[in-house]
Amino acid sequence: MNRPVRRALRRDPRLLVRLGLWSVLESVPALVIGLAVARAIDDGFAAGRPVTGLAWLALLGGAWLVAALGARQVILAVAAIVEPFREDLLSRVVEGALDRSAAPGPGTESSAVARSNLQVELARDALASVITVVRSFVFTAVSVLLGLMTLIPQVLVLVLPPFVAGLVLFLLSLPALARRQRAFLLADERTAESVTAVAGGLRDIAACAAEDRVAAAVGRRVREQAGAGRALARVTAARTLSLAVGGWSPVVLVLAGAPWLLSEGAGAGVILGALVYVTQSLAPALGNLVEGLGVSGVRLWVSLDRIEESARSGEGLPRAAGSRLPATGGGAELRGVTFAYGPHAEPVVAGLDLSVPDGDHLAVVGPSGIGKSTLAGLVAGVLRPDAGEVLVAGVPADRLDPAERVLIPQEAYVFRGSLMENLTYLVQAGAQEADETAVDEAVAAVGLTGLVERLGGYRAEICSSLLSPGERQLVALARAYLTPARLIVLDEATCHLDPVAEARAEKAFARRGGTLLVIAHRPASALRARRVLVMDGTRVRLGTHEELLSSSPLYADLVGRWDPRTASAEAPSGDRPDVPSGHVA
Amino acid sequence: MRSSDRLVTRIVRRSGPWLGVLAVTSVTGALAQLALPFVLGRTVDDLVSAAPSRGMWLGACVAIVVAAVACDALGVWATGACSARASEWLRHLTVRHVLGAGPALNRRFSEGELATRAGVNAEEAGRAPETLVTGAALVIPTAGGLVALTLIDPWLTLTLAVGLVVIVLVLRAFLRVSTTLAGGYQEAQGDIAVRLIDALAGARTIAAAGTLAEEKARVLAPLPRMRAHAMEMWRANARAGVQAGVVVPLLEVAVLGVGGIRLASGDLSAGELYSAARYVVLGAGLGSALGYVGRLARARAAAGRIAELLSEPVRTYGRRSLPPGPGRLELRGVTAGGLSGVDLTVPGGCAVAVVGRSGAGKSVLAALAGRLTDPSGGEVLLDGVALPELSREALGGAVGYAFERPVLIGETVADALGLGLPEPGPARPPGSPETPQSPERLETLRAAARAACADAFVRRLPAGYGTPLADAPMSGGERQRLGLARAFAHGRRLLVLDDATSSLDTLTERRVSEALTGELGGRTRLIVTHRAATAAAADRVIWLEDGRVRGYDRHRALWDDPRYRAVFQAADRTGAP
Repeated sequence: MNRPVRRALRRDPRLLVRLGLWSVLESVPALVIGLAVARAIDDGFAAGRPVTGLAWLALLGGAWLVAALGARQVILAVAAIVEPFREDLLSRVVEGALDRSAAPGPGTESSAVARSNLQVELARDALASVITVVRSFVFTAVSVLLGLMTLIPQVLVLVLPPFVAGLVLFLLSLPALARRQRAFLLADERTAESVTAVAGGLRDIAACAAEDRVAAAVGRRVREQAGAGRALARVTAARTLSLAVGGWSPVVLVLAGAPWLLSEGAGAGVILGALVYVTQSLAPALGNLVEGLGVSGVRLWVSLDRIEESARSGEGLPRAAGSRLPATGGGAELRGVTFAYGPHAEPVVAGLDLSVPDGDHLAVVGPSGIGKSTLAGLVAGVLRPDAGEVLVAGVPADRLDPAERVLIPQEAYVFRGSLMENLTYLVQAGAQEADETAVDEAVAAVGLTGLVERLGGYRAEICSSLLSPGERQLVALARAYLTPARLIVLDEATCHLDPVAEARAEKAFARRGGTLLVIAHRPASALRARRVLVMDGTRVRLGTHEELLSSSPLYADLVGRWDPRTASAEAPSGDRPDVPSGHVA
Repeated sequence: MRSSDRLVTRIVRRSGPWLGVLAVTSVTGALAQLALPFVLGRTVDDLVSAAPSRGMWLGACVAIVVAAVACDALGVWATGACSARASEWLRHLTVRHVLGAGPALNRRFSEGELATRAGVNAEEAGRAPETLVTGAALVIPTAGGLVALTLIDPWLTLTLAVGLVVIVLVLRAFLRVSTTLAGGYQEAQGDIAVRLIDALAGARTIAAAGTLAEEKARVLAPLPRMRAHAMEMWRANARAGVQAGVVVPLLEVAVLGVGGIRLASGDLSAGELYSAARYVVLGAGLGSALGYVGRLARARAAAGRIAELLSEPVRTYGRRSLPPGPGRLELRGVTAGGLSGVDLTVPGGCAVAVVGRSGAGKSVLAALAGRLTDPSGGEVLLDGVALPELSREALGGAVGYAFERPVLIGETVADALGLGLPEPGPARPPGSPETPQSPERLETLRAAARAACADAFVRRLPAGYGTPLADAPMSGGERQRLGLARAFAHGRRLLVLDDATSSLDTLTERRVSEALTGELGGRTRLIVTHRAATAAAADRVIWLEDGRVRGYDRHRALWDDPRYRAVFQAADRTGAP
């Protein structure tokens, strides 16, 4: 958990030097304050030389102005350390979220991202505050000790031991304090979570008559939080006592030892100067340290834990094994493939054998959630089988050069950028500047011309919220059409298009050549394909449309349901394009 | 007295003995703080005087320091304990009230609003007693510091007063700067968020294309802009902070200078000069005392928002249980939220579809049937018993609801399905680990899941029925199927499906329909739909138009009416993008 902090501190040693130098300026008042007061009284005002007194005070005022200059630079130096720290954390959050979403299993919800962002901001502020107080404490303590030594070295005997004792007491109590503070923060988060869940689920809670149970459950959280709050209050009180030992007992000891100091040649001013050092500089610095480490330090710890937790779950995910390989053949071959989404989960695909020769056009049909997208993911190499092997173009699918195959999923990816950037997203690796006529051709083939005209050409800036789901899918289709890939997997990639547009796009891909695997959203896709794979549970059946009509009751059922008459009576657009439907995959 | 102040008074009364401890320690501590500079100054004067009475003044010093420290420590303890107790009481109160008032609250407060009021606002209002006491006690050292300074020398007070005005002006100038700067920073932050959300939505494309590294760079591209804005904010922060920070020390120096001259002329002792300097620091604490006024205002505003929530009526339940019966649903002269004068009888065991254009009152009718909402006029009866007479348990066990967008509540999938079903053992908070399920209970849930076509996909989740909901991201269709399963597990007599199959593919929907007519066929079913096929499969159809029952007959009989047919076409048109 300390790694990001260490990285932040080590990134640029010159920054630390800069911070140290400005800190010296900032702590000048801590060095001179007692001395100036002592001399102003003893040598000036009390000795009947007010000008000398005022001169010493002018020196003190000057020290404060210099300190102000230093303080400003200190804040900027701290900012120069914590801003890269925040960027470092934010990058980890972003990379973790992307890694996780690219891997099989649960992705990242955008609300989780928002929570992580909040933690990043909290961590930055906490680190800034920790650096500020720890640094200020060290420089102030050293300055005060030097000042006291200049004033009258004997006083150190009275000040140093209780101060050190208080500091040690505090450091000893810090682990317990940190644990309590952390427990409180966590309890607070948990309560907030359950209250939010209640607020969002009132209708469902009432519908299940679960008010009492939910109230009891949330009540337990609330009680836990209150308990954590009380425990924190107790240790905070104990912490306050250590502050008293370190900050106040030197005052009492200086007063008690005053006769001795006076006999050593000190004046009233020196005694007052020593008191000023302790009450004005040392005690506040110790108090800030206690507060800063006890609260901000723990806040930092908890936030970093949270961030690391979310970033860590992105690591250790199965990554592509070994280096990428070029194609050595065509088509796709699945041999005894089994895949499950967890060790305790039932397999989605079990012992599947499937051979898709180069140039084939295969449609996959079956009820939603049956594993069609999983099959697409296996063929595209984004999922790795638990058993068996998936060969695409003669090499294991997950090691095939990504340029050799394209997967277009249901949720089309459109990013903030020009339309051209979006269209050439998959070819940029090879051809830097895609041939505009090739783009024109792809656009015309999938039926995107209308949108290009509406947007005013390829230079138009687009983002996902600017386009309808159907338009986003057309962009993704044109993007796939443009690539030289031999294998195209359309995973319900046309579900937001109307049936006519869907047919046009699918036919364009069939004409384009290469192997085409279509996960069908509508049964019509099966009619256009050369062969059809019917998935039902872990059983599959392969054949032509006619063969399956007679051999697979499920297929007959699926296609029979898609009777043009009933379909159009029920929904003129042929389906419900606005309804989000996806898969476990 | 305003409702917010009444609530604050209640919170104060509920804060318990710790509030008294806090009051005593705050006042005592404040007095000790106020006395300390004077006593310290006097002690030094006494020590350097010709005839020191050392013991007395030093003893006073020690006593006051000990008192100040003890009060401080005890005060910290009391503050924490007292606000913990007040917040706890207030949270229990609001959560129970929110749950008691039920979904009717959503008409007045959005979800986010409810969560804020029951969460953050309860916390803020819980701090009201502590803020009140601490803030009031803070007046003692600040105002007392000024009085003491005036007693030592009025000129010193004048110097201080001028300085305080300067501090306030500087702080106000800072507030103006920071709000304008934050805008650019937040904009860059938002840009990253948008890019990330886009990329997360396109995760499969990115994974398949192997462009993860490029995407990370693309999402993080606004970072330099963000840093520039952030540094701008730090600079503004530094400027104002330093200006404010230098004022008090300079004031102190000025007071020391003026006091020094008075010392030289013999009007002041050295100890008094020291006291004066300390009183400047105490008096400048008025700024933080003003901060307490702000905190109190926030706590009061929070209390006002909670009081508003608490003024919402709570639903009451009767004590009756349901007599044996087939699940006959009757609406007599019901008027509610758009529906007016609805008289209907749904025979027990029947499947009845509810159709109508959007806004016709379909969902209101569905909500009335199982008492998710109460009619403003007329009554709703289940097997002859008016719904408000039924106990919560009787109602919950008889009626099952499935929604278009069900909200799943619980830790695991099994928890979410069994929410509210009687179960052995103590209640678990949502989010606690380890949710043991008895085998019989799990079997009931699985049977319900099978009927809703959810069993197969649940078993494929990483830990089957024990999979945490957080680890089971679901499509709209899968969520609907779990919502259906939950309803099937609950409604032993009446099932209300409010557009609950809209995201299912046709085949799955048909299988669910088969289950509804097959194994669930004994229960009364009220099915809100905009699909003609569903209406055709029902025993009867309630056709709603503008809050009234336009027709109540078989689908086939109604189909002759072109306006009835238009209902389905309209539904499809609105469903298209």
